[in-house]
Amino acid sequence: MGLRRYLARKTVWYLGALVIAVVLNFLLPRLIPGNPVDVIVSQLGQGGLSSEAQQRIYEDFSREFGLDKPMWQQFITYVVAIFHGDLGKSFANYPTPVTSLISQALPWTLALQVPAILLGWIIGNVLGAIAAYKGGGWDKSVFTTSLVFSSAPYYCLALILLYLGAVVAGVFPVGGAYSLGTSPAPTWAFIADASTFYWLPFLSLLLINVGGQAVGMRSMAIYELGSDYVNYSRSLGIGDRKMTTYIFRNAMLPQITGLALSIGAMIGGALITELVFSYPGMGYLLFGAISSSDYSVIQGVTLIITVAVLVANYLVEVLYGFIDPRIRAAKSGEK
Amino acid sequence: MRASNVTAVYAADSGQDVPAVDNVTLEVPEGQIVGLAGESGCGKTTLGNALALIANPPLYTIAGSMEIDGQVIDMTTLSRESNNLHRPYRGATVSLLPQGAMNAISPTLRIRDLVHDVMAAHDKNVTKAEAMDRASDRLKMLSMPTRVLDQYAHQLSGGMKQRMVTVISTLLDPKLLIADEPTSALDVSSQKQLIEMLLQMIEMRIMRGVIFITHDLPVLSMVTDRLAIMYAGKIVENGRTEDLVHTARHPYTAALLNAVLDPTEETRHKHVLGIPGSPPSLANPPSGCRFHPRCPFAMSECVTKEPAFLDEGNHQVACWWAEKNPGVRVPLEVTTV
Amino acid sequence: MTNVPQSAILAEEAEPKPGPGSQVTATTRPSWRNLNFGPRMWVALTIIFLIVLMAEVGPFVYPYKSSLKVGSLYDEPSAAHLLGTDNFGHDIIAVLMNSTRNSLLNGLLAGTLAVFIGVLIGILAGYVGGWFEELLMGITNIVVAIPSIVVLILISMSLQHTNVGFLKGIGGLALVIGITSWPWTARAVRAQASSVATREHIDIAKLSGAGTPSILIRDVLPYLASYVVMAWVLQLASAILAESTLSMLGLGPSGTDSLGIELHWALAFQAVSTGAWWAFLPPTIILTLISFSLLYLQSSLDEVFNPRLRRGKKKNLAKAAARRAETARKLAQQNEKVEVLS
Repeated sequence: MGLRRYLARKTVWYLGALVIAVVLNFLLPRLIPGNPVDVIVSQLGQGGLSSEAQQRIYEDFSREFGLDKPMWQQFITYVVAIFHGDLGKSFANYPTPVTSLISQALPWTLALQVPAILLGWIIGNVLGAIAAYKGGGWDKSVFTTSLVFSSAPYYCLALILLYLGAVVAGVFPVGGAYSLGTSPAPTWAFIADASTFYWLPFLSLLLINVGGQAVGMRSMAIYELGSDYVNYSRSLGIGDRKMTTYIFRNAMLPQITGLALSIGAMIGGALITELVFSYPGMGYLLFGAISSSDYSVIQGVTLIITVAVLVANYLVEVLYGFIDPRIRAAKSGEK
Repeated sequence: MRASNVTAVYAADSGQDVPAVDNVTLEVPEGQIVGLAGESGCGKTTLGNALALIANPPLYTIAGSMEIDGQVIDMTTLSRESNNLHRPYRGATVSLLPQGAMNAISPTLRIRDLVHDVMAAHDKNVTKAEAMDRASDRLKMLSMPTRVLDQYAHQLSGGMKQRMVTVISTLLDPKLLIADEPTSALDVSSQKQLIEMLLQMIEMRIMRGVIFITHDLPVLSMVTDRLAIMYAGKIVENGRTEDLVHTARHPYTAALLNAVLDPTEETRHKHVLGIPGSPPSLANPPSGCRFHPRCPFAMSECVTKEPAFLDEGNHQVACWWAEKNPGVRVPLEVTTV
Repeated sequence: MTNVPQSAILAEEAEPKPGPGSQVTATTRPSWRNLNFGPRMWVALTIIFLIVLMAEVGPFVYPYKSSLKVGSLYDEPSAAHLLGTDNFGHDIIAVLMNSTRNSLLNGLLAGTLAVFIGVLIGILAGYVGGWFEELLMGITNIVVAIPSIVVLILISMSLQHTNVGFLKGIGGLALVIGITSWPWTARAVRAQASSVATREHIDIAKLSGAGTPSILIRDVLPYLASYVVMAWVLQLASAILAESTLSMLGLGPSGTDSLGIELHWALAFQAVSTGAWWAFLPPTIILTLISFSLLYLQSSLDEVFNPRLRRGKKKNLAKAAARRAETARKLAQQNEKVEVLS
């Protein structure tokens, strides 16, 4: 398969996935029986809003949802709005636009997730490869520890770390992302303050990602160790260190695809981690929105997550195409 | 080149050791190709690995030494240091041309990188350019295209890949090349090309001796100068190829040669005979001569005593029947229809 | 939504390695008598058994009902209530047993459904091949790419407002989890099925006039049995974790207990920062144990079915090495003697 064909194929599939994701994001909340706006407003009413305010919100939402129009027209309105960067207004914090809530939350999530995923992937792969190569006690301890970490649900490890690190030992703050009374600003003082809040959630994500990757890399590398090329390289007198790089390079390729496939799963777990640490990212925003039935925020958050995951997957797969020589260099049939 | 008293065992899961090669001695005269034949599971490939000094757990070479050009190498792989002791010899003194070279080259490695790695493994100071020069000189010598050096293994056809692997295996002019079923996965024309190349290399004295392992007897009788027949981890007969083909002295050799369809005039009317029974378990080999349960000539001493090697000039055989019938060809049924 | 390592499955399907090694796994139909169940499997099975026992038998033996208010907000552990009370004043042990039962039930329903769909799609795609395979795998890849947590959140939101009783409870959630988590299984099964489909016994079955459904069930499925079992174990774990994730977010089945819902309330009522460890540690530990033991079981099954992953036991290795060294010494002496004589 040539690189160009590979890229074209991937692009088509990911575009398809994107379209389907947007349709689902539009359609699923409309499965709620009855008029969603009625449900929303009646819930807002329980919060003690005046009937006049309720009426105003009701009209606003009806117009926004285009409930009087047929479904396909509603969908077009929805898609057009997305392309204008308009994700609607929050129900709970009316009339704050959803986009501004998300733009406050997103940086925290990215700051937590991107390093945890990338570092976790690198450390995990190195550990897994060493475990497979060394075998014996090394292998056993790395494998079992990794399996424990990778099988611990994200939030379980997070809860235990939080309890031990913040409540019992009192070394770390109990929750949040920065001290009360400060507000996010690009100053050293703020960054220093925020970093004390950063370690626990970061560590809980990192450990689990390392564990998962190490378990995967170990079994990949064990498969590779039995390959013909390992035996042949040995028979040529090539040293162990060089051979480890061969094994690593070959075992890495499926691990790269593995990364693409597991980003989605990682994000889900990470959302709950934010929740445990009251970290003001997307997960925390989502939690708040769910408990106040703030549908427009929920829909906005899910859309952003989906797009982010799809883009990340796509980038990893494109990168893979450039790395794997079997794709990069098309068959030329040397006789 | 001479390898003496080689014994190699497989460590089984049960903790028991299975001797796959049992006290084998093999000699390769200067400039000759020695064939090693036998049924699958007789220990040919294991012997090949032991001779190539790449026995790797669960396979252990527990005894044996190799003498090449006056240099004596301890072949055992029990100590921790043996891997490092053997490493400099691999590829440079003894080299392996592996079975099924299809996957012998890492898929993420260009041929030229492998070439450089091989040379650098034996001489740290070799530069990429020097490695390239040597490889392309060698390719030109063998009239092969040099552009393959820039390619990955998956871009080469099967035959090309096998020839390329042969070139890499012999790049450092090893004294002994161990070719383990190099032709088995190839089509007939690629087989022919590869064999011609090996003969050409011997002629050019790129390597000074070849052990050719295969169960493909027609190929063996075509290329080899000498033949060694292996049965259940032991060599049972050893001699010049034509002597063995014409005057097989061991019943197993005779049966093995008989089992091959040979479309020449004189054999056209013979029945193709299989060998009755199946190869014995190496973990628990039969007493005495290991072939006795399947041998039509088995006598009482065959069951109890192991036959010693009988030296008949340039021809050795380990068989009680042969001892009693000196110089006679094994009269295996040649039924004419 | 979960971090269940899919690598075990990926290891089989991501690497289309030609050559003799790669075929080993699927070509041999394992005979159960020869399987070598290691100590790991027994550890895993024991943990699972104990948890199931607690969840299924516990509620009948334990004096308190999980819905009974026996105290106030976060009463500390005492002689009467060994693990204290939760934010509603319910006995934690009673709630824990009931929650575990519901979580396991959910996992069983969702995991089985996911495996059923996954095997069906995987086997059809792998066996039929051609454009049909492309299509099914295309759909699968799309479902894999869209983060399932998003779909789960959106559907369970709707479920909370539905009027159908069945969908509101555990059944509804299990259904949703089941229909969003099959793609992994489908991918793994397809890779194996397409390798089985090229084998000779399938041709013989075709020649003897067997219909496709019969071939799939009689001649293909048995060869995939080990994969299906392993996938099922993984899907159980992943479904249980998915349920707890959703429940923690506040989208769990309403009106019942589950491990995730327990954690949801513990977070909502500040159990961690007030130091009420008895409210959040027990469900956390049970969840981790369930997930760990299932994955441990899966990895030991993997070693049983793929001997390549198996590594020798230390004790045997040391003994065998000593014996081998002794033999080597004797042989060396022998050979020396022979040399002296000659």
